[in-house]
Amino acid sequence: MTAWIAAGLALLPVLGLAVIATGRGTAGGRLVAVALATSLSVLLLVVFDFAFDQPSSLDLAMALALLALPGTLVLALFQERWL
Amino acid sequence: MNAAVDALLAFAVLSAWIGALAFLRLRTSFERLHVITFVNVVAGGAITAAAALSGGMSARTLQCIFVWIVVVTAGALLSHAIARALHMREGARR
Repeated sequence: MTAWIAAGLALLPVLGLAVIATGRGTAGGRLVAVALATSLSVLLLVVFDFAFDQPSSLDLAMALALLALPGTLVLALFQERWL
Repeated sequence: MNAAVDALLAFAVLSAWIGALAFLRLRTSFERLHVITFVNVVAGGAITAAAALSGGMSARTLQCIFVWIVVVTAGALLSHAIARALHMREGARR
């Protein structure tokens, strides 16, 4: 097992905690948890890209990083106005 | 070189775990926003440095650096937007 695979496996429970937090607590707390889970997902995709030597995973990480901004902004706007 | 990559990855994992524990420990959503910045900057920076050491100055490494810059910049913008939304909705209740 390479260090990259070990790092990816060690980061998975952290992502799990963030995902669980998206379903608990206040709406604001859930929104913060979504932002944290998105950041951790991008980092995990980068780590698994090196772990499995799949350069296409980096495109996924970049797409997620770029799409997380408008997606979470919409959620924040929704939270601000209607929730 | 491999030892440095391993150390950077271990540091990234440790900082992510510290961030997750801080997320559970901190009470308000405003305090929890700081965790996102911490994880983005420290864990993301360590993983990017490990990628740069592992792959050299290749296109893949440059892509990693670009992803990290996007994550840090978007994280700052999102923290501001989320804090503003929280202030509008929850600020009056506190």
